Amino acid sequence: MQQSIWQGIKLVFCKELTVGMRFKAAWAAMFMFALTTLACISLAMQGGAAEPRLLAALLWVSLFFAAMAGADRVFADEDTAGTLLTLRIFGPAQAVLLGKMLYTLFVLVLLSLFITPLFLLLLDVTVTAPLVLLGTVLLGSTGIAAAGTLIAALTTGASVHSGLFSILMLPVILPVFLPAISLTAGAFGGAVAVSYLGGMALYDFILIVGASILFDYLWYED
Amino acid sequence: MITFGMRIDDWLYDTGMMIVIQKRILPWVLGGLTAVWLYLVFLVVPPAQGLGNYVRIAFFHIPMAWVSVLAFLMSAWWGAGYLRRQEMKADRLSAASARLGLMFVVLATASGAVFSKLTWGAYWNWDPRQTTIFVLLLIYGAYLTLRAAMPEPRRRARVTAVYALFSFLTVPFLVFIIPRLYFSLHPSPVINGSGSLDMDPVMLGTLLVGLLDATFLYVWLVFRSVDSEDKEALS
Repeated sequence: MQQSIWQGIKLVFCKELTVGMRFKAAWAAMFMFALTTLACISLAMQGGAAEPRLLAALLWVSLFFAAMAGADRVFADEDTAGTLLTLRIFGPAQAVLLGKMLYTLFVLVLLSLFITPLFLLLLDVTVTAPLVLLGTVLLGSTGIAAAGTLIAALTTGASVHSGLFSILMLPVILPVFLPAISLTAGAFGGAVAVSYLGGMALYDFILIVGASILFDYLWYED
Repeated sequence: MITFGMRIDDWLYDTGMMIVIQKRILPWVLGGLTAVWLYLVFLVVPPAQGLGNYVRIAFFHIPMAWVSVLAFLMSAWWGAGYLRRQEMKADRLSAASARLGLMFVVLATASGAVFSKLTWGAYWNWDPRQTTIFVLLLIYGAYLTLRAAMPEPRRRARVTAVYALFSFLTVPFLVFIIPRLYFSLHPSPVINGSGSLDMDPVMLGTLLVGLLDATFLYVWLVFRSVDSEDKEALS
């Protein structure tokens, strides 16, 4: 039984990856949004020096809104294409949720790996604690993926899409967002409070478990 | 007689006790408590050291903030009730609680901002408690936006219940982590870290009356709101 869930997660992940590679609109929107935001910040700063805290906030605001530009489509695209019902019939809830969550995490890690070096380069930021930055980006992406996948499922069928995903995401993701900014500021030369990494990991775990429990109620409708 | 396993609110509705409590008992209790509360706040409580008469704002602010959190808890509780039993009454209670929660959180935020300006010189400075109450405001706003965006009633009830429960996961963070992340000018809670009460007995009594009154007001308003919805649906 356990093996079949892992198999299901793997199949859903592969399906998402195949569809993502075939229709690149979501990827393009996310990466281009990130690049546009970064260009705006860099142009506005004009090479001026900024405090580590401000730089960290700018990096996470860019990452958050770039993620919002693509992560909301994970269920909406299935709904538009008419494949959601088929997935509902053949896919067990947990395999669908965790497979899509894993795929969103994969895309967000790629996005972070794309935007963070560019951010450091364009804004001339010195990283004093690279491992802390790496850990923060990974844990931050995990939190966004966990909450984003459940909230993407919630917004399927909503009459208003524009902005709804971000509105629902922000309060839930703040416990990841605020420590991530503090830790990133530490990695950019401020004081590092490594214990926040533990707090982020714990909250990520809570989000994954919470999403897993609640998703069954969305997936198995009357 | 309440049989084992029967829910108390079902029993209250079935026996008509809810109507008696709601229409006959609660308004009188509420009126009396409010009169006592106002008397205590304006005529009995002495000016506080360092805060003067501004301390009176706190006796409105704290009960508003308490009900904001209580309404959030109850909204999630009734949301869980809907998911368990698929009764639309639970959804209406959850939604009514969220609407009232938004109203109380706005009042708590506004009264807190005025108190902050009078005592610390600025309306807003992202103090940990201000951050907490603002996140609560965002959650209520998001919940009600989601309700407005869902046209189909059953789907709306289901997704908003899930969101209420999911957003409730932030509570430990808001209560325990944020106050440790940032420096705060906000006074310590009434019951401090050592578990002892650190407040003048008259002020503590006034505060407790205020908390009780605001809680009764919330209960009265939430059931009244659901009843008027039921009447509209029947007419």
